[in-house]
Amino acid sequence: MARYAIVLDTRRCIGCHSCTVACRVNNNLPVDMIYNPVTTVGPTGIFPDVHMVHIPLLCMHCANPPCVECCPTGASQQREDGIVWVDEDKCVGCKACVMACPYGARIPNHETGIVQKCDFCMDRVLVGKEPFCVKTCHQRARIFGDLDDKTSEVYKLVNREPVTRLLPELGTEPHAFYILD
Amino acid sequence: MEHKEDIWGWMLAVDFFFAGMGGAMLVIGGVAGLFLDQGSASWLGNILAPLFIALGAGLLILELGRPFRAWRVFMNPKAILTVGAWCMLLAIGLGLISASFAFEIFPWSGASALRQAAAALGAVFGLVVATYPGILLGRHKARPFWSGPGMMVLFLVSSLATGCAALLLSGLIVPPETSGLQAILPGLTIGLLAFQLLLWPAYLWVKHSGTTDREARAAELWLKGDFSLGFLAGVLLAGTLLPLACLMLGGTIFQAIGALLVLVGGLFIRLLVIYSGVYRTWLPGEEKYRSRLPTGDEAFLKALKSK
Repeated sequence: MARYAIVLDTRRCIGCHSCTVACRVNNNLPVDMIYNPVTTVGPTGIFPDVHMVHIPLLCMHCANPPCVECCPTGASQQREDGIVWVDEDKCVGCKACVMACPYGARIPNHETGIVQKCDFCMDRVLVGKEPFCVKTCHQRARIFGDLDDKTSEVYKLVNREPVTRLLPELGTEPHAFYILD
Repeated sequence: MEHKEDIWGWMLAVDFFFAGMGGAMLVIGGVAGLFLDQGSASWLGNILAPLFIALGAGLLILELGRPFRAWRVFMNPKAILTVGAWCMLLAIGLGLISASFAFEIFPWSGASALRQAAAALGAVFGLVVATYPGILLGRHKARPFWSGPGMMVLFLVSSLATGCAALLLSGLIVPPETSGLQAILPGLTIGLLAFQLLLWPAYLWVKHSGTTDREARAAELWLKGDFSLGFLAGVLLAGTLLPLACLMLGGTIFQAIGALLVLVGGLFIRLLVIYSGVYRTWLPGEEKYRSRLPTGDEAFLKALKSK
């Protein structure tokens, strides 16, 4: 069984927001919903030693997802391959997952009343394709793959590069790994 | 449209208020009826307890994005919201059964063993209903003001205080058959308010000097920031100190005013606590990013909408 993960190489990200736009267009999201924003930290320092980094965000597809644990309807689910997704038929829009997610990855859809999120473009991944944000990133700052496949780029990066995870102290064990400059 | 992070709204806060108050009324009424000599509550209080919980449950349903599918919240027993929903349902049922014993039109009104069983079970589920919002919020690790067991104690004490005040008011409107409980309610409320007066500063002090900067910043909002006026005027002054004074003065009028103010304070507490949940632990650059997103009032968005 695969264990999907994503590596986000902030050394390569130029903050163009192509991934954000690709996700919104291809997932046909309403104008007020963003699954994968790109934030900017900086510029910091004094010229000529200035520094700025762009942080692509998305659902972390945690190994211990608090959003799944708190869902009273069982709509929030975690597949064996690690993908965390929402069964829209079961969701009642209680927002328990919105409040529980430490990463702000849950977004209520005001048109339908349900809560939605990034599911790694599950329908594409299941037929061997990459998520839209990964496919679109022209800088190769987003690398998606199987963490259990030793030949995958994701496996190599996670095991060879100094990767970090966001808010590790919460014990959620995200499957999104960051390479920081 | 709204680009800022969506959080629970005022309806959930009011749900927590009514459900907590109703749950505590079941606890106090049930325990007094079982263990206190001459301790029955007013029939109005006994009826209002389950109705308050039902009102809270109704607001909880209205808060849902899909209220007509509300039955689904009973489906995942591992989720604390599901446990809370079941306990609310059981507390409402047991509260109504308990209250029905006051009316002789019901054939079971003379069955004292059944009445005691319903009161005891109602008290147990009422206690859970009064406590679980604090547990629910306290488990949110990324909401620095909520996280930790302190929230559970704050909610339980506030629920018990509002429950006492509601029973006191009910007893003033419709005096109970026996006066045992009614006589001790002002003193009980004073004790709970005094405890609350110690508890809140202690909670804020622990958060402010707490383990993380995030907790300290969250507490700052209550001491100097967005919530300070509501906390000082609504919770401490109107909701705790003034009712303490009124209840200590005694007399029907002062007791009624004091009890009403306790309810105001309980509502303030829940509204402020729920709204302070908007302050999640931000990810790098996220706060600046969200502050720049449109809120829906912008001219270009209105023009887009009108098309």
